Amino acid sequence: MDNQPSADAARRPSPRPDGQPRAAGGRLLVCIDSSSAAGQLVRSASRLAEAARVEWFAVYVETPDDHPTFEDQEQIAKTMRLAAQLGGQTVMLSGFSLRDTILDFVREQGVSKIVLAQIHQPGWRRMLSFTLADQLRRRANDLDFYLIAAGDQEPQPRSAPRRDVWLLVRDYGLAATGVGLCTGLALALFPYLALTNLVMIYLLTVVIIAALLDQGPSIFAALVGVTVFAYCFVPDYYSFSLANTEYAITLAVMLIVSILISRLTSRIRYQARAASQQERQTAALYDMSRNLTTKLSLADLLPEAIEQISRTFDSQVAILMPDGAGKLHLSAGEAFPDDYGSEMLVANWVYRYGHFAGLGTKTLPKARGFYLPLRASQELIGVLRLEPTRPHKMIALKSLRFLEALGSQVALAIEREHLHQQTHQTQLQIEAERLRNALLSSVSHDLRTPLTVIAGSASSLLEGETSLDATTKAELTQTIYDEANRLDRLVHNLLEMSRLQSGQTKLNFEWHVLEEVVGCALAQLEAQLQNHPVVIHLPADLPMVRIDALLMERVFINLLENAIKYTPEQTPVTISGWITQQKLLLEVADRGPGLVPGDEELVFEKFYQAGSGSARGVGLGLTICRSIIEAHKGHIWAANRTGGGATFRFTLPLEEGAPLLDKTLPEM
Amino acid sequence: MNPRVLLIEDDPRIRRFLRASLPTQGYELLEAGTGHEGLSLAASQVPDIILLDLGLPDMEGIEVIRRLREWSHTPIIILSARGQERDKVVNLDAGADDYLTKPFGVGELLARIRAALRRTGAGEEDKTADIFTLEKLRVDFDRRQVFREEEEIHLTPIEYKLLSVLIKHQGKVVTHRQLLKEVWGPSSVEQHPYLRIFILNLRRKLEDNPTRPHYLITEPGVGYRLRGE
Repeated sequence: MDNQPSADAARRPSPRPDGQPRAAGGRLLVCIDSSSAAGQLVRSASRLAEAARVEWFAVYVETPDDHPTFEDQEQIAKTMRLAAQLGGQTVMLSGFSLRDTILDFVREQGVSKIVLAQIHQPGWRRMLSFTLADQLRRRANDLDFYLIAAGDQEPQPRSAPRRDVWLLVRDYGLAATGVGLCTGLALALFPYLALTNLVMIYLLTVVIIAALLDQGPSIFAALVGVTVFAYCFVPDYYSFSLANTEYAITLAVMLIVSILISRLTSRIRYQARAASQQERQTAALYDMSRNLTTKLSLADLLPEAIEQISRTFDSQVAILMPDGAGKLHLSAGEAFPDDYGSEMLVANWVYRYGHFAGLGTKTLPKARGFYLPLRASQELIGVLRLEPTRPHKMIALKSLRFLEALGSQVALAIEREHLHQQTHQTQLQIEAERLRNALLSSVSHDLRTPLTVIAGSASSLLEGETSLDATTKAELTQTIYDEANRLDRLVHNLLEMSRLQSGQTKLNFEWHVLEEVVGCALAQLEAQLQNHPVVIHLPADLPMVRIDALLMERVFINLLENAIKYTPEQTPVTISGWITQQKLLLEVADRGPGLVPGDEELVFEKFYQAGSGSARGVGLGLTICRSIIEAHKGHIWAANRTGGGATFRFTLPLEEGAPLLDKTLPEM
Repeated sequence: MNPRVLLIEDDPRIRRFLRASLPTQGYELLEAGTGHEGLSLAASQVPDIILLDLGLPDMEGIEVIRRLREWSHTPIIILSARGQERDKVVNLDAGADDYLTKPFGVGELLARIRAALRRTGAGEEDKTADIFTLEKLRVDFDRRQVFREEEEIHLTPIEYKLLSVLIKHQGKVVTHRQLLKEVWGPSSVEQHPYLRIFILNLRRKLEDNPTRPHYLITEPGVGYRLRGE
């Protein structure tokens, strides 16, 4: 937020590069304006502050007479960034009078030194001592002033404030109309009212006009009003000559009062408007930051930001972000037609140089959109594009800083999200590394065991071609075959695990009959289940479920293998299913030794093996089950059974729209 | 004359193991290491059955199947790795007859080869036979009657049609798509859930233990197979 100074910044202690305490009090303040020489001013201030070992502020004051252009705004922001880099605290103030606002700040913050630019004023103003330095010096002669010459640079001719001519014409027209109406009313009431009361009608008109329009039109109204009044109502009527010199006083007072009223009213109006605008902006910023911090992914965050900005600025908003190769792409928001590539050209320019450009600016103003760089704490992370909903309506100049504030919120949120992803990525890498290590140690033992058996049996067969009897040969061959199959299952589980973990497995959800899935699992384990009776309790009217059948089959296979592995022969394994609390509950239960109490959750951990020594797997089976069940939005857990044995239960959500079991396809 | 088996497989170790086992079982083995070699051998040597590996270096398995099917009806058995169920289905629908998942045993392979050869060779007459028997099952096509151990089982017309299609392809996998197409017609080929319901009902009528089916075997992710032999 270095380019987003706020009054808050003034209260934050600045970093002290030398680590030494600064002298208390006697702080330094530099007033900056939108001139390009302001940078030099800030550098001088920084040197002065460094020499005197005092804290310093770079202050910009916004006043109602101020009409900065886009370029001015950018210049100010640039100067502010420079000040922040040089260790100064940046403050944006707004007030009606430059002088009073600065003086208030000076008193509040205990500033004793002020750095100002030596401004080349027109001769007559200098004669009248109208420079800011003179004004300040007159009010506060206890302060030290440093006037810095603005260098060799020619003072840049300031472009006249850009205001819509039509708006001005309209405002002055309205003021004139107001005075006209008032005169009509006054003419109507002329026979009944005294002159002093007619004056009141005119004053009232000036107040109303001042309340509605800017200072210019209201002073204009005051002048016109007094003139018309003098012409119409002051004897001699319909002439500017005065019958009595006393009327001159009436007119003079009326003029002074009118002008005072109009100035005061506009001042109040300005302050009220500034306050309400500030309030709106604060609220919007607060909203934005609250909304953005609750969003966890870019996919949620960007639309939210876009929605808010487009609502605030009545524009179509898009966010462009660079891909890996640094090429900008539309990341979120409304796509914009870009037939000639000119819009992207502007976007790329903005991304490259970090300056705004496009509609309403001096850079590439032909573009349909206004482009703002999104600056995070380290770097530019993208470009914000605004295209006003009503064509040719530019972003109001005053709103630019607010837009920048919103933009930087978005940028920071995006950066936070990027960092979050990086952290997540790092965690994944650490996890992968851990998995690899665990895998290596497991591979060295669990995979080598069957390999040793296979190699040993095969070599026995080779060596004992003639000496071995037929039964032994058959036994050895069978061993090789069995161990190879075991290896295949291990490898399959390892592959499945890595696929599930990396998120590469795309689940293929279809409506399935559970009975069939269980049947497939049983068929695959036929050889191993020879010595384990399997009891199945699946109600015939169990609804169909939307699952990935191959993965669900893997769940049953792993649970059954687990049961076979850890229970004595001839103990039964039961598979049951029933509906409870709108869910399908499935169970694979055995009558083996059960789980070690406290291990109910541990068994789902990677590489967990019950007991030790007789390791017969890599301890991935149950972990895979959990991954698969969770991918099905279910839940799996283990427990000991009453009466001995372990039970593994899992739930599957019952979804709407299951094909009914008694429903038939149309006959041909 | 011994049946000729053309093996299109790039891995020399798998070729060696089949070279060691197939000839001893009474088959003549032709070997090809690439798809192109396989196609030219298929044309010049006219094998009775083709074993096709899906991971060939020079062309996709499905391309080999398509080119073979342009002029030949020789049964094709695909050899594929586990986890390639979609590939299997695509290849089966493209014209392959059956598949085997690696690693496979020789016994399994021989059973598939026998089933495939029976369908093409003498099998032609079997299909039109009036009576079909498989262990305890007996189907009388003339009278449209189905018996299990002499007890008549009542099947709905659809169930009967489904069973007939599976009998026609006995021992060979039939994909969901093929079954749906042959029983319900081409517009129903995506209705897998309904097919599962009909298979479930058929199993409840034919099998001793429908959860551990003996006759109607599920080929996960691919389709169904009626037990051969």
